[in-house]
Amino acid sequence: LKILLTPNVRGNGYFPLSVGQAHALEADMEREFLETACACRAVICCRVTPLQKALVVELVKQHKKAVTLAIGDGANDVSMIKTAHIGVGISGQEGIQAVLASDYSFSQFRFLQRLLLVHGRWSYLRMCRFLCYFFYKNFAFTMVHFWFGFFCGFSAQTVYDQYFITLYNIVYTSLPVLAMGIFDQDVPEQRSLEYPKLYEPGQLNLLFNKREFFICIAQGIYTSVVLFFIPYGVLSYATQSNGVPLADYQTFAVTTATALVIVVSVQIALDTGYWTAINHFFIWGSLGTYFTILFAMHSSILFNIFPKQFHFLGSAYNTLGQPVVWLTIALATVICIAPVLAFRFLKLDLKPQLSDTVRYTQLVLQKKRKPGGRAGRGVGGAGVASGSTLGRLGRGGSRRSGYAFAHQEGFGELITSGKNMRLSSLALATFASRHSGSWIDTLRRKKHANSTDKTR
Amino acid sequence: MMASSYSAKEEDGLHSGSAGLGGAAIRTRKPDNTAFKQQRLPAWQPILTAGTVLPAFFIIGLIFIPIGIGLYVTSSNIKEFEIDYTGTDMSSPCFNCSQSFSWNSTTPCRCVLFFSLDQPFESNVFMYYGLSNFYQNHRRYVKSRDDSQLNGDERSLKEPSKECEPYRTNENKPIAPCGAIANSMFNDTLDLFYIDPNGTKTQIPFMKKGIAWWTDKHVKFRNPGGSNPNLTAAFIETAKPVNWRKPVYELDTDPENNGFINEDFIVWMRTAALPTFRKLYRIIQKKNNMTPTLPRGNYSLEVTYNYPVRSFEGRKRMILSAISWMGGKNPFLGIAYITVGSICFFLGVVLLFIHHKYGNRNNSSDIPN
Repeated sequence: LKILLTPNVRGNGYFPLSVGQAHALEADMEREFLETACACRAVICCRVTPLQKALVVELVKQHKKAVTLAIGDGANDVSMIKTAHIGVGISGQEGIQAVLASDYSFSQFRFLQRLLLVHGRWSYLRMCRFLCYFFYKNFAFTMVHFWFGFFCGFSAQTVYDQYFITLYNIVYTSLPVLAMGIFDQDVPEQRSLEYPKLYEPGQLNLLFNKREFFICIAQGIYTSVVLFFIPYGVLSYATQSNGVPLADYQTFAVTTATALVIVVSVQIALDTGYWTAINHFFIWGSLGTYFTILFAMHSSILFNIFPKQFHFLGSAYNTLGQPVVWLTIALATVICIAPVLAFRFLKLDLKPQLSDTVRYTQLVLQKKRKPGGRAGRGVGGAGVASGSTLGRLGRGGSRRSGYAFAHQEGFGELITSGKNMRLSSLALATFASRHSGSWIDTLRRKKHANSTDKTR
Repeated sequence: MMASSYSAKEEDGLHSGSAGLGGAAIRTRKPDNTAFKQQRLPAWQPILTAGTVLPAFFIIGLIFIPIGIGLYVTSSNIKEFEIDYTGTDMSSPCFNCSQSFSWNSTTPCRCVLFFSLDQPFESNVFMYYGLSNFYQNHRRYVKSRDDSQLNGDERSLKEPSKECEPYRTNENKPIAPCGAIANSMFNDTLDLFYIDPNGTKTQIPFMKKGIAWWTDKHVKFRNPGGSNPNLTAAFIETAKPVNWRKPVYELDTDPENNGFINEDFIVWMRTAALPTFRKLYRIIQKKNNMTPTLPRGNYSLEVTYNYPVRSFEGRKRMILSAISWMGGKNPFLGIAYITVGSICFFLGVVLLFIHHKYGNRNNSSDIPN
């Protein structure tokens, strides 16, 4: 096994070039190989079989706590693509086998940068925000029954109307969080490419880990405490303005349900960082749908058809017509949201993350460019400024997108001799001239050398 | 070789113009360049800056504190009087009635309580009965009713719903109204007498209508047999609930308040959310603008003690209350608003201080390259 450590051109690190790499993957050697390789900036493994490619990836997966990505375009890359955590296939010259086996595929190698820095990062951000909010809203919804249990003899009586329980997760709160999970962006795409360091929170698992999960749960429990005990405190002794007490079960149910829907809607409004028209439509539409369905189900029309199912007749009208009830709902909302607002503001003010700073700078720039206009398309002037950066990053590299490695020498000379393809690049031309003479003669010579070896 | 089939269209977009002529027949798999698909939709991107958050806290504080003060002052001015008449200890006038309760007694037990009002009650006065430790919100109890029977449906009258078990049938006859809620209806009678300084007792007139929700009285609860005034015939072949002394068609002599649409019955059927609750019993209407509805002085409350609460350690009480725009006496809301308003204001001040001293003056020089 020979590992040649060659210094790279810029002199900031070593590239090991391992020849005869098959031995490195034997059990006793593999840890050494891995440690050596990880000490270097980049590793080139040449003349590897597909199995060896997969074994290299497997080696990194097993011994290093890292997420691996493998990218390739040929059928010989399929095993490597399948072994890695994320497999990326290039659809192009070598066919579509790699694409069929991969998780993501695109047509050019350079799109990998966008996949990671823009789409991967946004996807991680959206997923984490979605999860956190989903746990929060369900805990806020369900834990109210836990507190109510202390006051109803632990008989499992629900606080809400049965139809509210059915429709809460399906109709009233599903679309806003879906819109946030699809459209949210913290930083526009040009900035994502400009500041690769924004990718770090994803690598370090900062946005959704055990600590963040427990914070979401704690917030949900706190919200449920407020949502139960504030109506409990107010409605126990409250009466309507015509003297009829408000302490009945149906009034309590409508008050708590309305407060819950409003609080979780305000929370998703705080969580959404990128308000497209669709987000607006979903959030305000969900609130409107809640009130529409509430009044529809508590109307006399449905009661007359199914008296036993829709027995909340008149509750919505009697409850939501009382100023005391709206004061209760407003109080519960403020108590739930004010601490969240304070925490987030303090976090942004005292310890802003890179994404917060970039976002703020971006919006300040946009405001300066368009005085009086709202923050619109993220392209704007920022795109012009970084266009040259993109140009530098995008234009480099060869046109060829696929790399194939073979076992033997093969017919490489077929191409490098220049007889079949026009060599436009100067480097290739010099390379060809070094091998003067016909490539067939070269092959014959080699074959002759091998046979003379065998006869010995 | 594969090189020959290399499609120029998969090249970067700069060359698509020249290749378009030759490659027009080849279908491109490039996604559409629309704002939706390329995630370039116009959007509003809010940021929590000091300029938005701090004024929000101050405004919330400045709105909530006056509202809280108004609510608290209104609530303090509402007059309320409460008297517990369970009769658990020996000195109470209703002690004998509470101890010697039996279901079969024909003569009702009566007890009288004397109290005095220090302040006169103006305008309408509302009289409530309150129960404690009575779990009207127990799941099995809440289910135990038949809303179609109460709506006057003939079929449900003869065959009540299974949810009413075990209060569904009695001696093979269906119970009307069925269920545990109806069976446990509150049946104490409370009468209020004013004792003027020279000893004469005058009964204070009550209004027993208008105590239930309008939708309950006119839509939800309907007597069977339509508008037929002969309720006894409508309820033929049904039994009264087990713990009632009188059947449902003898609840009141007034036909508008008899049967299922009896307002006391409707008020009871509207189950309470918490184990300590009060329900509206009667309304004392104001006479005229000159005299107060309940003048200052001595009163006596005469109770027909029919409702047993000793077995579950419950308590019974009578409440007299005046009403304002925000309802009865409810100090919780006023105090909560004042508290939350002041906390928000204080939080705003603290955040302003922290922002001033330690906050990041956001600028692009902070971004590491």
